[in-house]
Amino acid sequence: MATGTIGVRRVAPLLRPSRLDSGVCRSCQETLGRRNYASAAATESTSTSPAPSSSINPAYTINAGVVLSRPPQITRDLEPFEKAFFFYQKRLNERLALPFTKYFYFKRGTPLDEDWKKKIQARQTAARDIGKYNAYADDAWNDELLLGSQESEPEHQVEQLVLDAESTANATSQDTSKKEEIPRPHSRVTEADKKGDQKSLNRLLPRTLYLLVQSKEGYWKFPSSPVQAQETLREAAERTLSQTAGVNMNTWMVGFHPAGHHVHNNFKARVDKATGAETHGEKTFFIKSRIMAGQADLSASAENLKDFKWLSKEEIPQYVSQEYYSNIKNMLADR
Amino acid sequence: MAAREPSRYLARALPRAFAPSARPQAFLGRRNVSDEAPARRLSDQLEDLETSSSLSAPVSDADAKSFDPIARSKARKTQLPRSRYQFRSPKYDRGPLHPHQPPVPSDPSSRLFVPGPFALPRAEQTYNSTVASDILTLCYVHTPPGFKAPVKASRLREWDDSSPYHKNRPLRGPRGGDVLRLLRKPIKFNNIPKIERITIHSYVKNAASDHSGWLHVAGIAVQAISNVRVETFKSKSSVATWSIVPGRDTVAVKAELQGENMYHFLGKLIDVVLPRIKDWPGVKGSSGDSSGNITFGLEPEQVALFPEIEVNYDMYPPKMIPGCHITLHTTAKADKDARLLLSAMGIPFYGKIIH
Repeated sequence: MATGTIGVRRVAPLLRPSRLDSGVCRSCQETLGRRNYASAAATESTSTSPAPSSSINPAYTINAGVVLSRPPQITRDLEPFEKAFFFYQKRLNERLALPFTKYFYFKRGTPLDEDWKKKIQARQTAARDIGKYNAYADDAWNDELLLGSQESEPEHQVEQLVLDAESTANATSQDTSKKEEIPRPHSRVTEADKKGDQKSLNRLLPRTLYLLVQSKEGYWKFPSSPVQAQETLREAAERTLSQTAGVNMNTWMVGFHPAGHHVHNNFKARVDKATGAETHGEKTFFIKSRIMAGQADLSASAENLKDFKWLSKEEIPQYVSQEYYSNIKNMLADR
Repeated sequence: MAAREPSRYLARALPRAFAPSARPQAFLGRRNVSDEAPARRLSDQLEDLETSSSLSAPVSDADAKSFDPIARSKARKTQLPRSRYQFRSPKYDRGPLHPHQPPVPSDPSSRLFVPGPFALPRAEQTYNSTVASDILTLCYVHTPPGFKAPVKASRLREWDDSSPYHKNRPLRGPRGGDVLRLLRKPIKFNNIPKIERITIHSYVKNAASDHSGWLHVAGIAVQAISNVRVETFKSKSSVATWSIVPGRDTVAVKAELQGENMYHFLGKLIDVVLPRIKDWPGVKGSSGDSSGNITFGLEPEQVALFPEIEVNYDMYPPKMIPGCHITLHTTAKADKDARLLLSAMGIPFYGKIIH
């Protein structure tokens, strides 16, 4: 063995913090180590002289924050590849599946049966969302879509289903003077999206929205306030939410544990003149919460807040500082 | 902070850099002839690839409009024989040494190919976007750094060596029964409970005493609501009042749903069928097999509420639509977690909740 490695072996135990446990992760080891040093220093100082007031008070303010979110209301938009893939699989299925058993679904001689015959002649297949395609014809190999065709678009497929239902209703109704109208599904893009109204809960339906409030100094953050004495984090979060965004919301706190935290270090330690206690900054622990109904209302806010917005994950970095976003981004849902 | 205490980080980084490696350093420099064989060189393989994607070049509108695959194939004077362009998978497996091997099942030309998926089910998206992360937050248990869980006694009991015959005996089961329950591990990001599969099972008692039509209707109904072929089962037990003889009478149908079918069925059940059942209290809180699978039953008139049966309700013979048992198999190891998952997905529970 080389002499270099032997030398390092002798030096390594001296350099390595030996009393820490190898089963604990590095960041926790550091915290523990620091805490041990601090407590050791504290015990030394108490043995020699009475402890100064700064070591009794916490150096950081502990805040409870609320990540109030509205979950996605509708399915997400499909990627172009997904649309093409799903459509191709549907046509493959049409080629491989047994033919549609018409006699189980349509009684002979009924108006529905007549309507069905007309449609199957035009469409050549039982499926209503794969376009005109006959899987049993000689040219069934021609199952791929051409460039620019609309058949794989979900909007087009929905429109086809609605038109089909409308024509069935018109063909089978007794009253021929009146045209039947099948209600179309609501638009995936709402009024609030078109107007760019970021205070509405009806915007960005396929995404998770988060409530952000603007403090009187002008910076944006999740609602948060200091935890008071004799109060758990969850109670503090509930109080924070009702104090900042009002009681006109039906919300549900997800569990009792914080989902993330943010540490803000002050540039200079702030000294409270009355007690002489120093604060180096604040630590905010965020509790997840879901909104079921209602809307935020800042008029009765105890914290003198200016504004609120419902933002998706992509919009949040435009409003908050880079450091804040790097701390909160991992607890926000991707969608 | 790092600028303030450089020595500590340096001290931690140093021993790792100089730590003796388990692998012998001397062998790393060895070269093999095969390394330099021309066929193994990556650059040669890359040269075969085209540098630009065919999708990157824009296609002119005129080209796109004039392209007609049917007309092109008809314009060909001589058609190729089918065997020249259509691969057919061998009908029989003739072993791994035969030159004609079947393609993988995911290949559309394979005889085992099953098309799909056709959509991204809404229930699955809800689970992934909302439910999973909420369960993870709800089930979090905090252990401070350095915490060591107390060592639990082994679940299997040892023999007390009071007899020489105890030597090499397998361990004894737990007291009060030989069943070893599933171990519930703490829920982390990699074992969040999710729905694994759904079983729809229908026991048709009239199938033995009356005629087999009952079984056919039950099978068609279960197939219609599940989009899965059903299996039929013979009775294992004798029921004298229904004149059912074990091993003789086919009395039950079952469909197993997984993946896309399962999520579509779950979505229909939660959003369409269950809300329309009159005076339905929910799933009983004591239901479950204590390893994370919850079962509940639907009456025949409730099964008829499925949209697939409703569209042509008249085609089913009257009063022959079956009831069924629906088992939701989850990856949860305890019923408590399974109920948490299912109630988050929208299935209500009532009565005394048994964990």
